[in-house]
Amino acid sequence: MATPVRWIQERLPVSGEDLRELTNEPVPNHLKRWWFALGGTPAYLFVVQIVTGLLLAVYYKPAAETAYESVRFITEEAAYGWLVRGVHKWGATFMIAAVILHQMRVYFTGAYRKPREINWMVGMCMLICTLMLGFTGYCLVYEQLSYWGAAVGANIAGSVPVVGEWMKMAMLGGDGFNSQTLPRFFVLHAAVLPTLLTLLVIVHIGIIRVQGVTEFEFGDEPEDEPKYFNFFPEHILSELIIGLLLMVVLTALACIVPATLGPKADPLVTPEVIKPEWFFYVAFRWLKLFTGTVAVLSTGFIVFIMFVWPFIDDWIRRKTKYPEASVWIGIVGVLLIILLTVWEAVVAH
Amino acid sequence: MTLKEKRTILIVLSGLFLASLVFVQKLEVARRYEEAGLSPHSVAIPASSRQCVDCHIQGTPGIVDHWRGSTHALKGVGCVDCHRADEADADAFPHYGYTVATIVTPRDCAVCHGEVAKEFEKSHHAAGGNILASLDNFLAETVEGAREPFNPHSPTPGKAVDMVNGMASAFSGCQQCHGSKIALLGTDGGMITVDELQPDENGRPTNLDALAKVVKDESGRPRFHAGTWPNTGIGRLNLDGSRGSCSACHSRHDFSPRRARQPENCGKCHLGPDHPQKEIFEESKHGIAYRDLKDEMGLDGDSWVLGKDYSHAPTCATCHMSGNIRNGGKITHDPGERISWTNRPPVSLVMDTDINGKIVKATDPAERQKLIADTAEAKRTRMKAVCSNCHTPDYVNAFYKQYDDLVILYNEKFAKPGKAIMAALQDQGLLTPTQFDEEIEWTWFYLWHHEGRRARHGASMMAPDYTHWHGMFEVAERFYMEMIPQARELADHDGGTAGAEVHRVIDEILARPEHRWFEEGAAEQMAAIRKAMEERYGQGGPAAKKGGEGP
Repeated sequence: MATPVRWIQERLPVSGEDLRELTNEPVPNHLKRWWFALGGTPAYLFVVQIVTGLLLAVYYKPAAETAYESVRFITEEAAYGWLVRGVHKWGATFMIAAVILHQMRVYFTGAYRKPREINWMVGMCMLICTLMLGFTGYCLVYEQLSYWGAAVGANIAGSVPVVGEWMKMAMLGGDGFNSQTLPRFFVLHAAVLPTLLTLLVIVHIGIIRVQGVTEFEFGDEPEDEPKYFNFFPEHILSELIIGLLLMVVLTALACIVPATLGPKADPLVTPEVIKPEWFFYVAFRWLKLFTGTVAVLSTGFIVFIMFVWPFIDDWIRRKTKYPEASVWIGIVGVLLIILLTVWEAVVAH
Repeated sequence: MTLKEKRTILIVLSGLFLASLVFVQKLEVARRYEEAGLSPHSVAIPASSRQCVDCHIQGTPGIVDHWRGSTHALKGVGCVDCHRADEADADAFPHYGYTVATIVTPRDCAVCHGEVAKEFEKSHHAAGGNILASLDNFLAETVEGAREPFNPHSPTPGKAVDMVNGMASAFSGCQQCHGSKIALLGTDGGMITVDELQPDENGRPTNLDALAKVVKDESGRPRFHAGTWPNTGIGRLNLDGSRGSCSACHSRHDFSPRRARQPENCGKCHLGPDHPQKEIFEESKHGIAYRDLKDEMGLDGDSWVLGKDYSHAPTCATCHMSGNIRNGGKITHDPGERISWTNRPPVSLVMDTDINGKIVKATDPAERQKLIADTAEAKRTRMKAVCSNCHTPDYVNAFYKQYDDLVILYNEKFAKPGKAIMAALQDQGLLTPTQFDEEIEWTWFYLWHHEGRRARHGASMMAPDYTHWHGMFEVAERFYMEMIPQARELADHDGGTAGAEVHRVIDEILARPEHRWFEEGAAEQMAAIRKAMEERYGQGGPAAKKGGEGP
């Protein structure tokens, strides 16, 4: 054995065998299907966001006086700044889309059922974390739309009964958008939420390792083939291919449809059309359908239902004659999300 | 439900979700591009103008295209909103269910832009049409053309010309900048203008007899006198009694603020031998910086405040009209608000103005004090607020000292003496009452109207070549080499007391210290120059004996 390897092993007593055992977790054959690799995709995109986010943070200056100019500098002057910003922007869109697709897969395959209820709820926390990352990141640009998007977001938070005003204060660092707001959003976006999401990813994967991957049989599996294959390198290679493909698509999008920069935020001029980022269209349209507190409470109620869905589903399956009700509810839910999102996208107000 | 069935559901829903995502992203990207000014804004055509657009997109697509790119279109202001007319208006006519007028006047624009219209009304721009009673107009109508049409004196092969319009130079020249007196064609072939229509305070004609004489086509549309319309002169005299044309600067039909902010826009009129402000700007450091940096100046921005949105370079609009951080971003549509000298007349005047914006010419200090509503100093302070975005107070004050000195030098050395000589010739009856029929009248006109203005404008906007070679040098040459000899020739020709009086005036002027060199010579100064030339180049040379070869 070469001396440097021995030197390391004397200090870190981990053998190659141990590493192989750690990574060679056998995973069920259904994971060979591409659509079962969607859980790894958001994780991969999260890494892309961290790397591009760190690069952006080198130049970004989180203050009302400097934020817009620093984003303009990144976009127009810093070497490859436009590319990094473009990948970061499209990466966010892809990450949220991948999370939604992963959640749909978990939902429709019933992979949240006992004993995986906790991991579903961890996943829900990750979804909220990801959406919050998107919201805070959007606000940091400090262009007209992002500024007013933040103002509207804060007002929505403010309309939550009892704790609303406190939430709004905590969010903005005052009654309205002020000099404390952008640094606050920046700390949330670049430190608190990524750390939280990293911890949740660890817990999420940890639970999967403890419980094992849900096993599915489609009925067309060959009898004479093993039911499991190695996580490393086979499944990791699949994930890597998806990752590289995503990188190509992200880079292409960043080049073809680069991140733009609207006019600088002007607190005195309300834009004619205020819209959040696309992933909040559904909630935005929903809120417009109802008035004030009803809208906010109903949104909160839906999120709560999503959180505890494994238990509701369990109750439905045990107590009713409709064991597959979750599938039909899911279909209605997804169609509703698509409808509300497209609706908000096509109308001006 | 089998796993395979669930898989099918999942594939369909995921497909739908991804398709909706692509669709939403497409809209989102389009919106972002629009917001960033990278694509034209989407325009919703107002219902009232839908019919106009549908028809004019075929007939005059350029108008519709321009309008589509305008802020008006973005804000839902359509054709009818501006062209709408009252049936009682002199130029109103029915047009596909609407009563409209062809010409949109400042009175129409004032419906939405009231404050702007008020500022404009006070401005010298709005009085541009006063040229109709000026020397310039006499030049165009009589000297260059003829007030009455006349017969051609030989055929024009290929064109049937039976009459020469002697007003052509005035119509196509002067009035396209200064503004025409808009006229409707009368049944007797005459012109029906604001003078005949006598509009009331709402712009409606009160002289119905004149109105009845207006020639109309079969659809009821009144016919304009071809010499007075089309016209976008800035001081246009409109049928409704209003003065001016907003589209002089805010070209129809896109009314682009970007264009109005660029010096080329002002250059339609502010150029040429008599007031080359555009060329002067181009020669100045300001113009040089503008040419280099115009792409970074945010000319398209909704807000265009000096010191906030840009500081790269000024344009005409920056100094004379636009907002800056020192004045709270206040825009003015009276460019005279920041001008402290008028360099337009033969002798420059201090821009102390009365309540109507007219220059106070009274000489008695107490009377001046009584009449002045806005002092030249206040105007200069407003201009200094612009300058101070980039220059220190000492720098700005020193510049103004240089500028004042040049204007006063021109006034005292050439303008006032020139005026005195012309007055002496006039008073002594050595000139006919008609202008421009004697050489000295052309000489004097060139001196103040062309060269004198160039010198003063050059100094006002930091263009050294225009101040000196195109300005004071030519003023001096014109004064000493043409005006004085021509005046003396007229005096000699008279040979009597009148001529003697003119000689006396000239002698008195030339005896002044600043003119003494001309008749007494400047031997001492020439010797000093010759000595310096010899030291610098090793020889004085034959040219040096006559004053050197110049720099």
